[in-house]
Amino acid sequence: MNWDNREDVLVFVEQKEGGAVKVGLEALGPAQVLAGLTGGKVIGLVMGEDNAAAVDKVSVLCDEVISVEDENFKDGNNDALTYGLEKIVEKVNPAAILAGNTPLGRELTARLGKRLGLGSAQDVIDLKTEGDQILWTVPVYGGTVLNDIELKTLPLMATVRSGAFSKPEEKQKAEIVTETVEVPEEEIRSKVVDSVKEISEAVNLEEAKVIVTGGRGMGSKENYHLVEELADLLGGVVGATRPAIEDEWVSRDHQVGQSGKIVSPALYIACGVSGATQHVTGMTNSGYIVAINKDEDAPIFDVADVGIVGDVMKVIPVMIEEIKKRKEE
Amino acid sequence: MDILLCLKQVPDDSVEIYLKPGTEEVDLDNVTNVVNAFDTYALEMATRFKEAVGGEITAVSVGPEEARNAIKNSLAVGADKGYLISDPAFENADTLGRSEIIAAAIKQLEDERGKPFDVIFCGREATDRATGQFGPQLAETLGTGIICDLVDIEQTDEGIRGKQETEEGYHLVESVTPCVVTVNKPPYDPRYPTIKSKMAARKMKIPVLSAAELEGAEAGEPNVEIIKVYEPAKREAGIKIQEETVEDSAVKAVEMMAEAKVL
Amino acid sequence: MAYLISEEAKDLLEAVRDFCENEVKEQSKEYDKTGEWPKEIYDKAIDMQLQMLEIPEEYGGFGLSRVDVAALFEEMAKADAGFATTISASGLGTKPVLIAGSEDLKKRACDIIVDGGFGAFCLTEPGAGSDAGAGKTTAVKDGDEYVLNGRKCFITNGGVADFYCVTAMTDKSKGVKGMSMFFIEKDTPGLSVGKEEDKMGIRTSNTCDVVLEDVRIPASNLIGEEGQGFSIAMQTLDQARTWMGCIATGIAQRAMEEAIAYGKERVQFGKPILKNQALQFKIADMAIKIETARQMVAHSLTRMDEGLPFSKESAIAKCYASDIAMDVASEAIQMFGGYGYSREYPVEKLLRDAKIFQIFEGTNEVQRIVVANNTIGRF
Repeated sequence: MNWDNREDVLVFVEQKEGGAVKVGLEALGPAQVLAGLTGGKVIGLVMGEDNAAAVDKVSVLCDEVISVEDENFKDGNNDALTYGLEKIVEKVNPAAILAGNTPLGRELTARLGKRLGLGSAQDVIDLKTEGDQILWTVPVYGGTVLNDIELKTLPLMATVRSGAFSKPEEKQKAEIVTETVEVPEEEIRSKVVDSVKEISEAVNLEEAKVIVTGGRGMGSKENYHLVEELADLLGGVVGATRPAIEDEWVSRDHQVGQSGKIVSPALYIACGVSGATQHVTGMTNSGYIVAINKDEDAPIFDVADVGIVGDVMKVIPVMIEEIKKRKEE
Repeated sequence: MDILLCLKQVPDDSVEIYLKPGTEEVDLDNVTNVVNAFDTYALEMATRFKEAVGGEITAVSVGPEEARNAIKNSLAVGADKGYLISDPAFENADTLGRSEIIAAAIKQLEDERGKPFDVIFCGREATDRATGQFGPQLAETLGTGIICDLVDIEQTDEGIRGKQETEEGYHLVESVTPCVVTVNKPPYDPRYPTIKSKMAARKMKIPVLSAAELEGAEAGEPNVEIIKVYEPAKREAGIKIQEETVEDSAVKAVEMMAEAKVL
Repeated sequence: MAYLISEEAKDLLEAVRDFCENEVKEQSKEYDKTGEWPKEIYDKAIDMQLQMLEIPEEYGGFGLSRVDVAALFEEMAKADAGFATTISASGLGTKPVLIAGSEDLKKRACDIIVDGGFGAFCLTEPGAGSDAGAGKTTAVKDGDEYVLNGRKCFITNGGVADFYCVTAMTDKSKGVKGMSMFFIEKDTPGLSVGKEEDKMGIRTSNTCDVVLEDVRIPASNLIGEEGQGFSIAMQTLDQARTWMGCIATGIAQRAMEEAIAYGKERVQFGKPILKNQALQFKIADMAIKIETARQMVAHSLTRMDEGLPFSKESAIAKCYASDIAMDVASEAIQMFGGYGYSREYPVEKLLRDAKIFQIFEGTNEVQRIVVANNTIGRF
């Protein structure tokens, strides 16, 4: 493949609350694969107000870190971040640009795509290299269909789905290059004037080993406590489907599925979940799936290792008792 | 506020879409086209915004003659004018191409009106490909501000202030106008048309803007090529337990989980 | 297989279908269980102006043909017959005024509906069902007012209406010729709502006794003239019946659609049960009946639009459509087998909903009297 004298792979690693976002680190994985093809470096790009913690994380996962620190680059100031990314791309002249498929990752790549006339692959779940061809797998129609797409422009540009790739093995600390980017005032059209946290509890579905999810079949907010109890017992995290969130049984950061989190725990227990594609695409990579549903034809059973046909309100309490017994033994 | 609203028709997202067996062709035979769900939220938010601060909504859609329906529906619930941007030359436009075409249409309409649109609404993504590229790329093409993922909007002295949904809550973002905004699911549902507004919308003219009338509107060469279309590998279904009593089933399931060493 | 309707109505049909699918169909299941009157559904329906479909154009309506309106009513009935009945009962309540009322009363009644109110028609009494002339409610003239006393029963929208069209005897000695029709607004002193019926079907509609105790109304609230009440009531029912046929057809259509969907899914002896010709013929019989009923409804409504006599056609439409709605709902349950008898599945409700259409607005026995009289003539 003709890389047009481009070598390095640039990965934009987003920050949240002073730390690197997990999917940003995961993007360094496929970046390594690409760098193997181009013969260049993987460069992690960190832009923010205070990059110390993120740079620390990124530096052991790539070949070089570029750190751009300025209060202009605080979370939410997307005009500045777009400008900063554009300037770094100009400087590095990369063969590929990767980011996590977060709202910010999507916006930055879209805007850069327009500025530089680039195509991009969004929400990539797999990267395949076949001979000279580089194929990006993206879901369409909510995940029931996949497309392998080829990008016709350089640098290649993509956002990757959370949980789809593993971050690379840690290695020796890479060189850290500090850059400054002055953002001209006229570049800034919109500004974050306030950030409000509505959800206080930290829900980490993506890194959970066990997830217990309740769906519409739980019936009510009161019944939902059973899901929480089972999750607690197993040291897991509570997940939810869209209907459970719309009925306000649990906050939206618990949502698993196409419009929520894509998860891959070792054990996934789906309680009263029918198994709509929008949900299933978010959990189908789990290690072991247990489903409880009173409708024996529920599609969730098509992906479950163990399916229990029965009323969740009767099944879960027995399961809780059984698991407690085993724990005591 | 002068508002422009971008609408797109997509295959009904309440239907699960698969390939025709043994082919790479997506089976859309029995799937009707509907207005993209996020665009319907954008329409509702734009309508509420107009009702609060005054002004007018102009709806546009790029697509074949059938896309006229999307515009007609918007005229029945809040839009005041509608234009169909349609030309065989636009058929294969990708997101970048579509943003160029709509930007050209917007410039054309602004010339005719003699004033710019203040806020340009679109959905955060289309439910078919869900790339979320269109809004930001339109803003870049027009050289305006952009705020993505809004769930609320209000007017300020210099422009607008919006609630941008984040994982933990929201950012309050202010922007000068003109500004493009993309809309996420707000805490309310889109309204239904009334019988009267639906009948009135039928009678409204929806002019067509074709390539000949739009300077600089080109679909361009797509930057992305689809090489392969397929369905994801299905996970094998395991065992379904349906013992005499629910209790027995639950006990057996826990046994199996223990055997699989996942407890 | 549907009504032949205008392009405009096709557009409206799409919007009404969308509304009924999302706001009525599933929601009404729960209300069917509780028997609660689903105000939130009706509020949304009124936001959409569905209650105005039968209002004449000159009083703020839409000027759609009756067949156009029928297509929309069938859609509502498919989602929930009780819902369609409530909406339609306002139309029934408005008809006496539109048939014989003064200009002022017409405006008042239509304005109430346009503003989102409900109407009710009060003819039936505990001792006067099919024999409507046996009513005991009285209206006595007192200066510029009438004073009404009596009890009406089985009144659809009785507990929620904003106005009532009530029959009362102004001269008992003249029998049905001594009956008159009055317009009474809610909150008129002496007017109260009696017991609410706990019904077998159409449970999302409200059915109550309406009690009149020294209800004083201005003499100008008399609809038409003294002694015309029975005639106005009969003309009202003549028109309204076809609409009941329309709703009954909607119930039957829903039952058939449910039966087809289930028959394609349900596998017995290794194949979908609908692969059996015996069951295909059941569906064919359903379709034959439904389409016939629908076209009879359309024919009667077209005659109304054209100003032609329609008593006989209206009675046939109501009688036939309600009879076949019972047949089709029953056969749909049969196709569902044991599941059909379960309240978890949708078809048993359709049978319960269908039954009333053989009874109210003139029992099907009364309909046959109307058809016979119109067919045989005097001899």
